[in-house]
Amino acid sequence: MSEVRKPRDPLTGHVKALAKGFKYLVEPNRMTLDYPAETMKLPPNYRGFFTVDDKKCIGCSMCEMVCPPEAITMVPRIIGEGGKTIPAPEGEKEVKGPKRTKRPVVNWGKCIFCYFCVDVCPVDAFIPTQVHDLAFEKDSEYRPSYEDYLKPPEEPYKNSKKVISKADLKRGVSYEPAP
Amino acid sequence: MSEKVYNIDDLQNINVEGEKYIILQIGPSHPGSGHMRLKVWLDGDIIVKVDPDIGFVHRTSEWLSERREWIKAVPIVERIMLPDTVHANLAYVLTVEKLLGIEPPPRAQYLRSLVAEINRITSHLYGIGIFGIFLGSSTVYMWAFGDREPFIDLMEMLTGARITTSYIIPGGVRWDLPNGFKERAETVLQYMERRLKDYEDIWVKNPVVQARTINVGTLKKEDAIRLGVVGPNLRASGVYYDTRKHHPYAAYSNLDFEVPTMKNGDSYDRLLIRVEEIKQSIKLIRQILKDIPEGKIIADQIYNQLNPVMKKNYEEKKRVMFPAFMIHMRPPAGEASAKVEAGRGEIFFYIKSTGDKYPYRFRWVTPSFRNLPYFTHVTVGHRLADLPTIYGSIDYFPPEADR
Amino acid sequence: MGIIPLILWLIQDLLYIIIFPGLVTILVVVVIIIWLERKIAAKVQMRFGPLWVSKKIGGALQSLADLLRYSFQEVIIPEKTDKWAFILAPGLMFAFATIALIFIPVGPYYSVLFPSYYTILFSLALIIITPIFAITVGWASDNKFSFIGALREGFLLISYEIPFLLSVVSMVIIFHTYDYINAVQNQLSFLPGIILNPLAALTMLIVMIRTTGRFPFDITEADSELVMGLFTEYSALFFGVGMATPYVELYNFSLIFSLLFLGGWWPFTLNVMNPVYGLILPGIIVVVKAFIVMAVLVFLRAVYPRYRLDQAVRSGWSYVLLLSILSVILSVVEVMFLR
Repeated sequence: MSEVRKPRDPLTGHVKALAKGFKYLVEPNRMTLDYPAETMKLPPNYRGFFTVDDKKCIGCSMCEMVCPPEAITMVPRIIGEGGKTIPAPEGEKEVKGPKRTKRPVVNWGKCIFCYFCVDVCPVDAFIPTQVHDLAFEKDSEYRPSYEDYLKPPEEPYKNSKKVISKADLKRGVSYEPAP
Repeated sequence: MSEKVYNIDDLQNINVEGEKYIILQIGPSHPGSGHMRLKVWLDGDIIVKVDPDIGFVHRTSEWLSERREWIKAVPIVERIMLPDTVHANLAYVLTVEKLLGIEPPPRAQYLRSLVAEINRITSHLYGIGIFGIFLGSSTVYMWAFGDREPFIDLMEMLTGARITTSYIIPGGVRWDLPNGFKERAETVLQYMERRLKDYEDIWVKNPVVQARTINVGTLKKEDAIRLGVVGPNLRASGVYYDTRKHHPYAAYSNLDFEVPTMKNGDSYDRLLIRVEEIKQSIKLIRQILKDIPEGKIIADQIYNQLNPVMKKNYEEKKRVMFPAFMIHMRPPAGEASAKVEAGRGEIFFYIKSTGDKYPYRFRWVTPSFRNLPYFTHVTVGHRLADLPTIYGSIDYFPPEADR
Repeated sequence: MGIIPLILWLIQDLLYIIIFPGLVTILVVVVIIIWLERKIAAKVQMRFGPLWVSKKIGGALQSLADLLRYSFQEVIIPEKTDKWAFILAPGLMFAFATIALIFIPVGPYYSVLFPSYYTILFSLALIIITPIFAITVGWASDNKFSFIGALREGFLLISYEIPFLLSVVSMVIIFHTYDYINAVQNQLSFLPGIILNPLAALTMLIVMIRTTGRFPFDITEADSELVMGLFTEYSALFFGVGMATPYVELYNFSLIFSLLFLGGWWPFTLNVMNPVYGLILPGIIVVVKAFIVMAVLVFLRAVYPRYRLDQAVRSGWSYVLLLSILSVILSVVEVMFLR
């Protein structure tokens, strides 16, 4: 590997370094995403915020058990009409009986988006989305109620230009308008 | 400035008590220290002694992992070494697989090597970038961090996350290659090969860089072996040792690659070896994508436990879901260890199981911790301005060392 | 002298002090050059640079926004500092760098306080004073990093001062004058200085890079070693002033370079005593030349890392000194044979 180490003589080195810098100066080759003005449309397997299908979920608590940061808690619910659940009466810790069930709620302050819960669900009840750049103002928003958790997460910067990333020979990553 | 000529060997055990040296506390909040503190004794401009003070970002990963189900340690070990997540994940899973006695199928092995090599490139680029900003070249810093982006995009395409992929699970991997991955990877590799020439002009062969790094922080071959340093730094000192070659894991036994070594062991060699390893990784990724066999990406023991919904998902979306086994995994009592060549060196895992649902003993050594002797042994006798050079060239990552 | 000429004379003086080469020009130059430096670096580094402050003009007002931010920040003066020196030194540093501009003409009929045949000497004397305050800053801060930064500044100051003076002296020998205006007129009638004595021009360029802390000689402010070098303990407007001073110096040096080596207001050679032809047009030409020189120097940030102190000092006492001595010899030889 000694041929790799062979130092370049200073004059050539300075000239080549300056020439390379100048080349990039006159031919700007930007790979920046102008973020809030342009946002990415991410691939479908991207792990973003997720919500749960209230009807599909069977309340088995597998997601709660697998969650590494213990972000998922199960809330007691009662199965109402059409398979939808309604809140269990106040103060009831133990849920029993045929109509009683549980539903997961994610604490977004703790969630690390590993998607173990999504993958462990025996009925595939979680609905993944690609939304990843939400910000919460209040502490209570981190820990949504079950009703709030069911609402699909709203994408910020709705008016921004949607782009997808593409491998590019010239600049590594280029962004082109999403189809 | 002192006229005293220092002999490095004499300075190893110097007594600094009662002497009039300038004592600099570099860190923990200092642009050139990272999450650690370097206490430096200076005689004029010459470093007499360096005392690295680590542990500022100790996150008790071992303690946490001993109090959780086996699968939950995957995100924990990943978060210790953020530029190098896949290797930590892989090392842990290899250990667990040895305990469980599961052998992943060949396609999963190749996929593991694929993400590991992509991750090695991003890790080396990270190291080169930090080295650049330590010497004052913001261009190399921005370029290296920008050029991680195409590779991180590849990881995102494959695993669904940019850095903390949690991609490797006991028995296999979680997702199969998506459509269009091979073409995209080939474009990215060609781009990177072209960019390496630019790096050569503006950074590697830049006369200022050569003046700053050649013969700075030299660690000889015998000393490197004696101090137990690992990874690219060890190979820069001329030791032919690479865990991928000597203790193959994943698909490395089937792959053809070289282990670049250097002779001198100075900062310049440690810079060059990273560039050479990026070239080898590019070669490896090409080879993996060409040779990757068809077949399952998860071991049969796991696949058989999937329920019909999960099996349908596996067939349609090429996505492995977790059977309940993943939560209730109880590897039989015993001990296991595994070694993985991460970007900064060798990760060593030791886990003892008592057949319980938590690991009984969970110990691991990260490469940065083993490269710590550089600070005490190599910096002495150099000038203060060489401290960032040595720090940057060994690619030390404090959170990784503190675990 | 009637009352009206007196008022006009006063207005002219005020214009000199406030508009050109006064504080307004300094502000505009510093704002533009900092923006230019960041934009050039950003282009080489495959990114946008300052953008979101005044997006339509490419973020040119970013530096003004930074200045505003500095103005409203809390001023922190650490307890153990030498308070007077700590407060006064950055201001004096800036002031002397600015005052030096008074003696640098940009047109054939331009002189602020009094016409003088010794403007080169005056401006050099003032420029050479500024590093002393840099050392004062390091000494007053009671911080080891500032102190080491000041020591480095001192070492570099001594090792690059002589080449700087020698390179100017070699031009003085060629032009046979201590006055910038005469020096430029000499070049207009013959050849620009960079062709007459390229060695002196090269020395001057290296010294400019070093004195204003551009890469690869950004040694006193090496952030990975010395946090912020001299200005580690400073905050708010003091820090802003300290940061702007090298750019003012850069402007000084670039003006001197364009006057001594690039032919001043060449190709404008009309010799008329008139505000437009005597001051504004040549002034624009000189400032544009100075900006080109500055742009070249700030571009180096995108290419080079920094040298070590001992390497810079060694090259100062060997290569650069040798180069400057050679440039003086070249000048003497040229004067002997050409004139």
